[in-house]
Amino acid sequence: MRDKIIKWILWMAFIAILVFIPQMFGILYTNVFVLFAIFSLYAVTVNLLLGFTGLLSFGHALFFGGGAYATALALTHIQGLPLLSAVLVGGLAALVLALITSPLLVRVSGTAFAMLTLAFGQLMYVICLKFREVTGGEDGVGGFPIPSLNIPGIVSIDMKNPLNFYYFAIAILVLSIWIIWFFTRTPVGSVMVSIRDNTDRVDYMGFKVPQTKAIIFLISGFFAGIAGAMYALLQDLVSTDGVLTIYYSFMPIMMAFIGGIGSFFGPIYGSAILTILDELVTAYTERVELITGTVFILVVMFAPAGFAGFLNFLKGKFLSRSSEKNEMERIS
Amino acid sequence: MDSTTAMYVAQTLNGLAYGMLLFLVASGLTLIFGMMGILNIAHASFFMLSAYFCHTFLSMTGNFWIALLLAPIIAAFFGVLCERFLLRKVHAYGHISELLITVGISLVILEAVKVFWGTEPLLVAVPETLNGFLWIVDLKYPMYRIFVIGLALLILIVMALMLYKTRLGMVVRAAVSDADMVNALGVNVPVVFMLVFGLGTWLAGIAGVVITPILTVFPGMADQIGMDAFVVVVTGGFGSLIGAFIVSLFLGELNSFGIQFIPKLAPVLMFTFMAIVLAFKPMGLFGERE
Repeated sequence: MRDKIIKWILWMAFIAILVFIPQMFGILYTNVFVLFAIFSLYAVTVNLLLGFTGLLSFGHALFFGGGAYATALALTHIQGLPLLSAVLVGGLAALVLALITSPLLVRVSGTAFAMLTLAFGQLMYVICLKFREVTGGEDGVGGFPIPSLNIPGIVSIDMKNPLNFYYFAIAILVLSIWIIWFFTRTPVGSVMVSIRDNTDRVDYMGFKVPQTKAIIFLISGFFAGIAGAMYALLQDLVSTDGVLTIYYSFMPIMMAFIGGIGSFFGPIYGSAILTILDELVTAYTERVELITGTVFILVVMFAPAGFAGFLNFLKGKFLSRSSEKNEMERIS
Repeated sequence: MDSTTAMYVAQTLNGLAYGMLLFLVASGLTLIFGMMGILNIAHASFFMLSAYFCHTFLSMTGNFWIALLLAPIIAAFFGVLCERFLLRKVHAYGHISELLITVGISLVILEAVKVFWGTEPLLVAVPETLNGFLWIVDLKYPMYRIFVIGLALLILIVMALMLYKTRLGMVVRAAVSDADMVNALGVNVPVVFMLVFGLGTWLAGIAGVVITPILTVFPGMADQIGMDAFVVVVTGGFGSLIGAFIVSLFLGELNSFGIQFIPKLAPVLMFTFMAIVLAFKPMGLFGERE
C-alpha cells in the first residue's frame, strides 16, 4: 500500500515536471526537450530489439525515416489531413515497411540480422535519394503545412506555437513509451526475453520463434515510425541526410548502449546524456560525433551495463546491503 | 569493332576493375569475420583513411609509388592498434559489444578525418607513367584501369599462394575455421588475429590508394564500396574467400552494366541480389555457417 502511494506521488511529480519544463527552461530548450523525447522513443524501440530480444538492428533509420517521409508526403499532398492521422500515417508506413522486410529478417539472428537490417536501411536511403520526383532527393520534402489539433466542436489548438506542440509531442511520446513498457510486461514480452536468453529452448517448448520475432519487429518498427513522424512535424523538413543516413541508425543504438541496454529506461537516460553532451559540445566544436563516438567507445569498453548499470551499482552500494549481496552472487 | 561491342568491352573492363578493388576490401573483411565472428564496420573507414594518407604523401613527395607503398601500411598500423587496444579488450563481452565498438571506431575515424583534412573533396592526379590510353583492337581504354586490374590480380595471386602454400597461411585458415582448437594446439591465436587484422586493413588500404585518382578523396568515399563489401561477405558466405571473389566480380559487373542500362535502379539491383540469395541460402552462396 505504501509503495503504491509513493508510486502515485512519483508519477504526479513526473507529470508536473513535464508540464512545467517550458516555464523552467524557456522556449529554446523546449524544442531541445521535444528532440530528446523523440529520440528517447526511437532508442526505446531499438532497445526493444537489442536489449530485450537480442537482435541488433543497424537499419532502424528505415522506420524512423520511413515514418518521417510518410508524414511529410501525406501532409504535402493531402489537403486538410488531421494532425493525429498524419502521425498515424507515419507509424503505419513504418509498419508496412517492417511487414515487407520481416519475412527475410525473422529467419536470421546475430550478425546476419545486423547486416540485413543495415542493407535495408541503406536501400531506403538510396531509393529516397534517386526518386527525386517523389522525395525531392537531397533537398527532401519541406515546408509542408502543420495542421492544428482539432477536436470538432470543442477546440482547435495551433501547433505552430512551440509550447502547444511541446505538450502534444510529449503526450504522444509518453503514451507510446508507456504502451511499449506495457507490452514488455505481457506474456509475449516474456517470450521475447526468453528468445534472447535461449532461442533453442523457446523453440523446443513450442513457441513460434519467427512469428514472435515478427510481432516484436512490427511493434518496434511502428513506434520508430511514430518517432519519425513527430520528428518531421518538429523540423517541418525531411531529407535523406536528415533522417535516413546510417548515423540515424547508429545514434539510437549508441543512446541505448550508453544508457544501458539491460534496462527498459536505459535508452531514455542515454538519450538525455547524448542530448546534453550535444548541447555542451556544440559550443566548442562542429564535430559533435567525434565526442559522441569516443564516449560510446569508452562505454562499450569499460561500462557494458551503461548508465542504468551504474545506477544499479550505486543503489546496491548505498541503499541496501542485500541487493549488493545479490549483485555479488550474480557476478560469481 | 562496332560501337556496341566497344561499349560492352569497356563496361566489362570497368566492372572488372571495380570488382577487383571490391575484392581487395572484401577479402580482408571476410577473413576478419571468419576469425573473430564479427563484421568489422570500421573496415571501410581504413580504406578511406588510407586514401587520405595517400593524398598527404602525394602533396609531400609528389610520388604516387611512395604513397602506394606507405599509406596502406600506416592505415594497417592504425588497424592493428584498434585491434590490440580496443577490440581485444571487449572480446570477453561478446559479439554485440565487438560489433558496436567497430561502429564507434568508424564514427571517430570519419569525424577525425573531417577535422584534419576538412570536408571538401581532394583531387589526386593519375601518375604520369600511367596517364595514357591503351588500344584494345580499336577501343581506347585508360591505362590506369588496366593497371588497377593487374595490381589487384598480382596481390590476389600472392595472397592465395601465401594462404594455401605456406605454414602461416595454413595456421590462418585453421584459425578461420576453428580458432579455439588452433589455440589449444599451442598457436598464439591472438597474435595471428592481429596479423590478419593488419593484413585485412592493408588490403583495404591498397584499394583506398588505388581508387583515389578515379574517385577523388572525400569523407563519404567509403560509403559505396563499404556497403558493397558487406553485401559481398554476406552473400558470398561468411568467411569464404572463394565466395567473396566470385561475388565481388559479379557485383562489379552488375554495378557497371546497371549504371549503363538502368542508372536509377543500379544500387537497388545489388540489394535485390542479396535479398534473393539470402531468401534461398541464409548462410550465403559458399558459406558453411551462420
